[in-house]
Amino acid sequence: MHVFFRGLLSLFKGMKITWYYLVHPSTVVTQQYPENRATLKLADRVRAQLAFNYDENGFHKCTSCHICEEACPNASIHVIDRPKPAIAKNELDHFIWRLDSCTFCNLCVLVCPFQVLKMNPTFESSVFDQRLLVYNLTTYAGATGPVLMKQPDAEARNKLIEPRSVYDGPTALEGYHLAGIPPGLYEPTSTTGVPK
Amino acid sequence: MSSGSNSLIQGVSLSQWVGGNAWTDTPWLAFAAVLGGTALTIGFMSLTAMVLVYAERKIAAHFQCRLGPMRVGWHGILQSIADSLKLFFKEDIVPTNTDHLLHALAPALCVMATLLALITIPLSPSISIANMNIGVLFLSAVSGLGVLGILLGGWSSNNKWSLLGAMRAGAQIISYEISMTLSILVVVLFAGSMKFSTIIESQATGWWIWRVPVVGFVAFFIFLISSTAEINRTPFDLAEGESELTAGFHTEYSGLRFAMFFLAEYINLFIASSLGAILFLGGWMPFHIGHFSTFNHLMDLIPPGIWFAMKVCGLIFLSMWIRWTFPRLRVDQLMRLEWKILLPIGLVNLAIAACLILSEYYFFVWNPL
Amino acid sequence: MEITGMTAATMSNTEVPVSSLDERIKFFQNEPQSALATQEYFVNMGPQHPSTHGVLRLVLKMDGETVREIIPVLGYVHRGMEKKAEYIGYRQQVHLTDRLDYLCALMNNWVMADAVERAMKIELNDRILTLRTIFAELQRIQSHQLWWGVFGMDLGAFTPFLYGFRDREKITAIFEDTMGARLTMNYIQPGGLMYDIHPEFPRKVKDFLKYFKPILNEYDELFTGNVIVHQRLKGIGILDGKTAISVGASGPVLRASGVSYDLRKSDPYGVYSKTQFEVPVGTTGDCWDRYIVRMQEMRESIRIVEQLIDNIPEGPTMVMKFGAKIRIPEGIYYNQMETARGILGVMLVADGTEKPYRLHFRTPNFNNLWSVISMAKGLRLADLVAILSSVDIVVPDIDR
Repeated sequence: MHVFFRGLLSLFKGMKITWYYLVHPSTVVTQQYPENRATLKLADRVRAQLAFNYDENGFHKCTSCHICEEACPNASIHVIDRPKPAIAKNELDHFIWRLDSCTFCNLCVLVCPFQVLKMNPTFESSVFDQRLLVYNLTTYAGATGPVLMKQPDAEARNKLIEPRSVYDGPTALEGYHLAGIPPGLYEPTSTTGVPK
Repeated sequence: MSSGSNSLIQGVSLSQWVGGNAWTDTPWLAFAAVLGGTALTIGFMSLTAMVLVYAERKIAAHFQCRLGPMRVGWHGILQSIADSLKLFFKEDIVPTNTDHLLHALAPALCVMATLLALITIPLSPSISIANMNIGVLFLSAVSGLGVLGILLGGWSSNNKWSLLGAMRAGAQIISYEISMTLSILVVVLFAGSMKFSTIIESQATGWWIWRVPVVGFVAFFIFLISSTAEINRTPFDLAEGESELTAGFHTEYSGLRFAMFFLAEYINLFIASSLGAILFLGGWMPFHIGHFSTFNHLMDLIPPGIWFAMKVCGLIFLSMWIRWTFPRLRVDQLMRLEWKILLPIGLVNLAIAACLILSEYYFFVWNPL
Repeated sequence: MEITGMTAATMSNTEVPVSSLDERIKFFQNEPQSALATQEYFVNMGPQHPSTHGVLRLVLKMDGETVREIIPVLGYVHRGMEKKAEYIGYRQQVHLTDRLDYLCALMNNWVMADAVERAMKIELNDRILTLRTIFAELQRIQSHQLWWGVFGMDLGAFTPFLYGFRDREKITAIFEDTMGARLTMNYIQPGGLMYDIHPEFPRKVKDFLKYFKPILNEYDELFTGNVIVHQRLKGIGILDGKTAISVGASGPVLRASGVSYDLRKSDPYGVYSKTQFEVPVGTTGDCWDRYIVRMQEMRESIRIVEQLIDNIPEGPTMVMKFGAKIRIPEGIYYNQMETARGILGVMLVADGTEKPYRLHFRTPNFNNLWSVISMAKGLRLADLVAILSSVDIVVPDIDR
C-alpha cells in the first residue's frame, strides 16, 4: 500500500514538471527559422562555406601551391594552374570547391601558408540542383595581389588577369548556362565567389 | 454501415414525433432523418477529431517547450485541415500478400464502432441522437467492436510487427473492458438506470464522483485508467508502441485508411472522456456547492452544453497530460495491473456500492461545505 | 509457453518455406493440428527501426513476445574507415574519427590526436590539456543528455527526448562558438587545438553549469523517480561483471556491473589526475544501474568542469604546427581513452611514411553490443528495447 501511494506520488511529480512547462510559455525554445533571420546570429567561427580572402583591390594571395588540395581528406578541392602564367611562375586559374562533398574539416584553411582561404558562416546554400554545389571560388585568373600591385596602373593589371565566374571551368555544370538551368538564376557574384 | 444502425434508433424518436410508425406513414421523412443524422454525426466526428488532433499537438508541444504547428493559419489553426487533405490525396499503399478484403475492412470497422458509440452520447438535454434506455450497455458493446478492426488490421497486414501490435491490443482491450464495465456498473447501480439522460439527471444534487465519498472516486479512478488503456493511449499504447513495434497494427496502412484509424483513435478519446463526464462528473449538470444559492444560480446561467463541453475538455486534457508525461508499460505489467490490481479493487468497489444501496446509505448527500 | 502443444513440425527444426504464399499455406496445412500449437518465428528488428538508433539490424527469434535468440547483422553503415586511413594520412584521419561515434566527436579526436602526439613525442602544455579535458567532459555531459532523452523515448515517454535535446543544445552552442561546428568539430588536432577558445567560453560554461544542475534534479523528478520507469528497468537485463569483462564491455555498461574500471582513474590522461571525481559503480548490472551510473556520471562531469574552468592556464593552444601531411616514425602505437560509451582505442602501425600502414579502432559500442545478446535472451521485446537503449548503442561506431 505504501509502495502504491509512493508510486502514485512519483507520477504526480512528473506531471508537475510538465505542467510547469505548459504554463510557462517563456520556456519555449523553438526557433522559427526563416522568420527569425533578423535575430539569428551564428557564431563567427561557424564553418559553412569556403571562401577566398580578397584584399581591398579585389585580389587574392593564392600562389596555386596545391597544399590545400593535398590536405583535403576527400578531394573536395581542385586547384587548377593557369596554362600560360602572365608574370608569376605559378598562377591560379580555377579554384574548384565541391560543397556537396566537403566535410568542413577546416584543414585547407589551417594549412594555407598565405591565409587565402576562410570559412564563412553563411549556411543557406541549398539549391535545387546538386550540380550547382560545385563552385569556382576565384573571381579572376592571374597572379597574386602583391605581384599584381607592382604593375603601374589598373589598366596594366587588368591585362594580366582574366575574369572568372562561379561556375567557370571544370565545374560539374561546365558553365551555369548549360544543363537546363535558366540563365540569370544563378548569376555569379563578383566579391565573395559564392552564388546569391 | 452506420445508416442501418442509425435508422433503428432514429426510428424510435421519429415515431414518437409523427405519432405512428415513421417508416410506413412518412417514409421520406424517416429516410431524410436517417441520412441527415448520419451526415451530422460524421460531420461532427470529423470536426471533433480535427480539433482534438490540433489541440493535442499544441498541448504536447507546450509540455515539451515547443510551439507546435505554427505555419498553416494563425498559430497553425488550419494544420489539421491541411493534414487531412494530404491524407485524402495520398497513395493508398497495400502491401503484397495481404488479405485485401480484411485489410480494407479493418479501418472501416474501427470507424464504424466509434460512430455507433458516438451516437449514444448526449451532448446536452436537447442534443442527443440516440437516447436509448440501454445506452450504457450499448456503448460498452459497440466500443468492444473496435478491437475487431484493430485485430483484423494487424492480421491482414502480413507483417509480424502489426500482428504483435494487434495481439497486444486484443489482449489489452478485452482485459480492460472488464474493469471499465465494473466501474461503470457502480454508477449504473447508484443511478438505477442504464439510460444516459437518467444517469445525468440523477446527479442533479451532486456528482457521483463525490456523492458517494470513496466508492465514487475509486470507480472514477479505475475508469480513468481502464479507459486510457481502452483507447490505446500512453502509458498503455502498447498496440502502436512506436519504439517497439514501429507503428503496431497500422504499420502497413497509409493514406485514407490510416486516416480512418487515426480518426477512430481521437473519437474514442472523445467518447471515453464524455463517458467519464456523464457517469462521474454529472454530464451537463452545473457545478453546485451546498446551499450557496447565489453561486448555484450563477452556475445555472451557463448553458448545459457548455458544462458538458467543459467537463469533456478537462478530461481530454488530463488524458493528454498523462500521455505526454509517462513512459509506456510492458505488456506483462499491463496485464498484471489489470488482473491483479484493478480487477480486485473494482470488484470490491462494486460490492461495497451494492451494500451501500441495500442499506440505502447512498441517499446521503455529501456536500463539500 | 515453451512446451505446451509444440507440434512435431515445430519441434524438429523444419524450416518454414519463405518463397511463396502458396508454399507456406501448404506447409501449415501439412502440420498436424493442435489446439495450442505455438511456433517460434523470426522478425527483423532494423535496419530501419525506431529504437535501434540508426541502422543496426537484429534478427530476433521470437516466441510470442519473448525473445529467444538475437543475431546482430552489422555493416549497414560500414564506411571502410580503417582502410580509408591507409590512403588519406594521419591528419586527415582525425576528422574521420568525428564520424565514429558522432555523439562524442571531440573525445574521438583526442584519442587520434594523442596517438599521433605520442608517436611523435610531442609535449603538450597545460593549457591544451586542461582545455581538452574540459571539452571532453562537456561532451560527455552532452552525450549523456542525448542518451537520457532517447532512453525516455524508447521507454515510450516522448517528453524527455525534447528536454534532453533542449539542454544538449546549450552545450552545442558553446561548442559552436569556439569550434565553428556543432557535431563533427575536428577541433582537437595533433599538436594542440584548432583555435584558441572563444573569449566568452569560461563564462558561458559557468552559465550552463548553473543552469544544468537544477535541470538534472528535474530529470530525476520527471523520469528517474517515475514508478513506471522503475518497473521497466529494475532487474531487467542483468549483466554480471564477469560476463561484462569477457565480452569486452567498457564504460558505463562495465561499471554498472560492479567493475570499477575507468581509464580516467586507472590510467589518467589529460589533467584528470589533478581533479577530484568519483567513478560511479553499479551493483547488479541491470538497466536501472546503467541508468543511474550515467546520471551520476553527468554530475561527476559537472564537478570536473567546475574544478577546471576557473583556472585555465595561459599559453599557446598549438605547440606544433603541421602541414598537410604528418610523417610519424616507424613503429606500432596504441592509445586508448574513456569516451562517453567506453574505451576507444586506436592502434597505429606506422611505416615512416605520411600514411599509416594499418590503423585499427577498438570501439566501445562494438563490444557493448555483444553484452546485449547475453542480457536480452528470454526477456520481452520491450525489455530488449530498454536494454539496447541502456547500453547506448551508436551504430556508426560499431560498423566504422
